[in-house]
Amino acid sequence: MKRRTKKTLTSIVIALVAFVVLAIELYPIAITVINGFRRDIVILSGQPFKFSQLTLKSYEMVMKNQGFQLGMRNSLIVGLLSTGVSVLIGAMASYGIARFRFSWRNGLAYSFLVFRMLPQISLVIALYLMFSFVGIRDTVAGITLAHTSFNVPYVIWLLLPFFTAVDKAYEEAAMVDGCNRGGVFFRIFLPIVAPGLVVAAVFAFLNSWNEFLYALILTGVKAKTAPIAINGLLGGETLTWGQACAAGTLMLVPVFFFTLGMQKFLIRGITAGGVKG
Amino acid sequence: MSSRKRDIEISRFIRKEGKARPHAPFLFLLPALLVVFAVLIFPIVFSFVVSGFDWPLSEGAGTRKFVGLGNYFSLSGDPEFWNSLKLQLGFIFIAIPIELLFGFAAALLLNREFFGARIVRSLLLLPVFFLPILSGMTWRFMLQPRYGPLNSLLISLGAPEITWLGHPVMAYVAIIVQDIWRMWPFMFMLLYAGLTAIPQEMIEAANIDGAGFWRKLRSIIVPMLTPTILTSVLLRIIDALRVFSEVYVMTEGGPGSATTLFSLYTHRQAFGYQKVGMASAMAIFLLGISIVFALTLVRKNMSLDSLEEKAGAG
Repeated sequence: MKRRTKKTLTSIVIALVAFVVLAIELYPIAITVINGFRRDIVILSGQPFKFSQLTLKSYEMVMKNQGFQLGMRNSLIVGLLSTGVSVLIGAMASYGIARFRFSWRNGLAYSFLVFRMLPQISLVIALYLMFSFVGIRDTVAGITLAHTSFNVPYVIWLLLPFFTAVDKAYEEAAMVDGCNRGGVFFRIFLPIVAPGLVVAAVFAFLNSWNEFLYALILTGVKAKTAPIAINGLLGGETLTWGQACAAGTLMLVPVFFFTLGMQKFLIRGITAGGVKG
Repeated sequence: MSSRKRDIEISRFIRKEGKARPHAPFLFLLPALLVVFAVLIFPIVFSFVVSGFDWPLSEGAGTRKFVGLGNYFSLSGDPEFWNSLKLQLGFIFIAIPIELLFGFAAALLLNREFFGARIVRSLLLLPVFFLPILSGMTWRFMLQPRYGPLNSLLISLGAPEITWLGHPVMAYVAIIVQDIWRMWPFMFMLLYAGLTAIPQEMIEAANIDGAGFWRKLRSIIVPMLTPTILTSVLLRIIDALRVFSEVYVMTEGGPGSATTLFSLYTHRQAFGYQKVGMASAMAIFLLGISIVFALTLVRKNMSLDSLEEKAGAG
């Protein structure tokens, strides 16, 4: 009996500590969200938080801000395009590695993994020179290609465990019945691994959505993505915290929606190379 | 009988098909290889070439000149380079052990059920997925003089306010605290998963033998978690080596060069000083270090064979 009371007490203490830590961890996020509903002038004057001052003004302003509109649109286009291309190309490559035996198979698979871990700063200078030379700097196509570069190796390794888990029997049966490899891949295999493809697509999209350095260097006016636009809101003479936070909150919506919705796959997603941009 | 016949038929067919189309894997891999060549391998080779030149960013800043290893020698005599390397190493060696410690402690504490445990465990992960630039922005806001929440708190306590990001040491501490805040839940997530994978029977057996908490920690939990710990630390090191956006948004490397980590100095060399050759030499240097860590991680933990064994067993 005494032991049980002690155990309950420990649990209560741990629960309390856990909620305090959680509150500290969520405080900076909460501040971002709350500041989005306050006006720049209220924030800058350092007034304490008041419910009566909550307003959608900052959202209104940032939605009308042409730079941010363009950034949001570009972010969506670049995210969707690079995700589509990476998932298609990555799934093909992952299938090639999972289903065929060839001499350079291991070396190739591991180099894809290493490629995912290279620092972007090491590549971006050369990309800047190359893109300038070809004339695709500050174009949506250019930044999409740059995002594809980290998403393809990422998707390959995220999909491998999904792919190796599928029984070969389906494909073999289809091949005996006269279907060629390409047909098998597109018509038999891809539908079976559809859940894996969805997971890969979500994480690839978030990688692109969060990416900052490539966008900073490789875009300028026309192809800038939303993170660059948000950074721009803090770059001028006046710090428009309210608008920047409203814009940031808008960017957070898909991130938290997917993160909380895909709990089961988070570890797989993050250890395949990290969700960070 | 007939299913066996079908099996033989299938395996004969596969063999035939494999012989007839030895280039089949190549076709599947071709698009990925093209992308990797165009935007990963070529830029690396190109960076290496550029690092051998005195290469100004724009036409107006001078002319290109081959200098061999000159840029690397200039770097070794550049105090700002050593400063950025020192800051980078400090960042890694201070932030990651603390993150590991917090994450490990939290994994141990939260590995039990209490009211709201599931919610705490999931919400704790939100900072990991908070956009790095938003993290930099929020921390910059919290540390502002006059209206920043931290200074408001100090003032209400009667303490003098501090211009956190204007002070070299404080700014450096701030970017590290920011990283710890954001990434210790990452450690927690991986270690918690490792902890729940330890067979319950082992813990129970130890309980029957009368082992106390510390004894269980030392003899079962830590040894069983060592591979997970190594993996998460390696992942974090690889990640921390390329930290850029959050610090760029938070301090832009300042004040002065107090928070100019390695990637920020590389960026400054290329786009501030317009010395693309020097920046490329730095890029190659960082690339070398990252590849060493990445290869260590890959060789230790990630193996195609184990993936396939798992698939075979399941």
